[in-house]
Amino acid sequence: MLPFFCLALALCANSLFAAVPVIEIEIRDHLFYPAEIVVPAKTKVKLLIINQDPTPEEFESYELNREKVIDGNSKTVIFIGPLAPGEYPFFGEFSPRTAQGMVRVE
Amino acid sequence: MLLSSVILVLQETLEAAMLVSVLMAVSHQARQKISWLPWGLCGGAILASVYSINMQTVSEWFEYVGQEVVNALLQTCISTTVILLFWAVFRTRPVASPAREPIKRRHVPLFQLCAALAVTLTITREGSEILVYLAGFFQLSDDFHAILTGSAIGFSIGVSVGFLLFYGLMSLPGHWGFTLCVVLMSLFAGNMLSQATLLLTQADWLPSSPELWDTSAWLPENTISGQLLYAMIGYEATPSWIQFASYLAGSASILAIAVKTGYWANRSHFSA
Repeated sequence: MLPFFCLALALCANSLFAAVPVIEIEIRDHLFYPAEIVVPAKTKVKLLIINQDPTPEEFESYELNREKVIDGNSKTVIFIGPLAPGEYPFFGEFSPRTAQGMVRVE
Repeated sequence: MLLSSVILVLQETLEAAMLVSVLMAVSHQARQKISWLPWGLCGGAILASVYSINMQTVSEWFEYVGQEVVNALLQTCISTTVILLFWAVFRTRPVASPAREPIKRRHVPLFQLCAALAVTLTITREGSEILVYLAGFFQLSDDFHAILTGSAIGFSIGVSVGFLLFYGLMSLPGHWGFTLCVVLMSLFAGNMLSQATLLLTQADWLPSSPELWDTSAWLPENTISGQLLYAMIGYEATPSWIQFASYLAGSASILAIAVKTGYWANRSHFSA
């Protein structure tokens, strides 16, 4: 049991203290700016999403396994990765026709 | 906007509709009243409204990951109440007992409380997103009429699927309806725990673990069958190890209680 506890503690400590790159995405007029972001492979990244619209949006991605409601005129944080190289599309579930984006992992 | 609101509301309604219909079938098969239903629906409506009104405040908690933490807590509680409910159900009377009700009288309040709580918390989780969506677009969008119509259609389809499931479960012969309820609720409990770990990973409260498999080429999550399977059994095309382990733990607890309490020997008590 002790090794598992130590491993869990080490993983938590790692996630707490490691410097995580922050990438900012804005939502304006039901569009993502930038619509495509590039992140390094095998690295955890913090997405800072700022919704400039008065309407709420839901950031969703099946490929990234992420889903989060962002109220109008507010900001939020979503952690993604570490990811393998590839393309991971995301979209705004409340405006799926316009709000579309892509995380490119290189 | 019409189609996207149909899909959005349907997705959120399906999970709650499934839970309510399976719990209604379980109540019928265990000869219990469904007095938990109005409490669960009212409690869910009230809590979902409170949560949606305060969504922005909650989101700012814990350095902007409050939403994940609260939702993970809700889902862990849903899983626990469903497991406790089946613990009450499985404490059945001996086969030779002349009693009509399979559940022991002293376990009935626990059954009713757990069913009401499970429904309340599920509606809180799913309903709050619908309310944020509707409230956000109310008066701010020219498409509000289309959004409202789409939401009503999505909600109606979700409720209809729930009714179909209920009557389907009730029409199965002998104890098979109840056995299928047990299997569905085991998977539901596992799904809730798995979603909770996923949310905590998204909040960086849990470390991310490697992907266990990738079935996105065979059955993508964004197809109708993928969405239906997601609502029914929590299908994920690319689950992580932590998600899979928590899914297994949640599902196995109900099945383990079924075996340990000797439910299998008394299963003939439960039939429609």
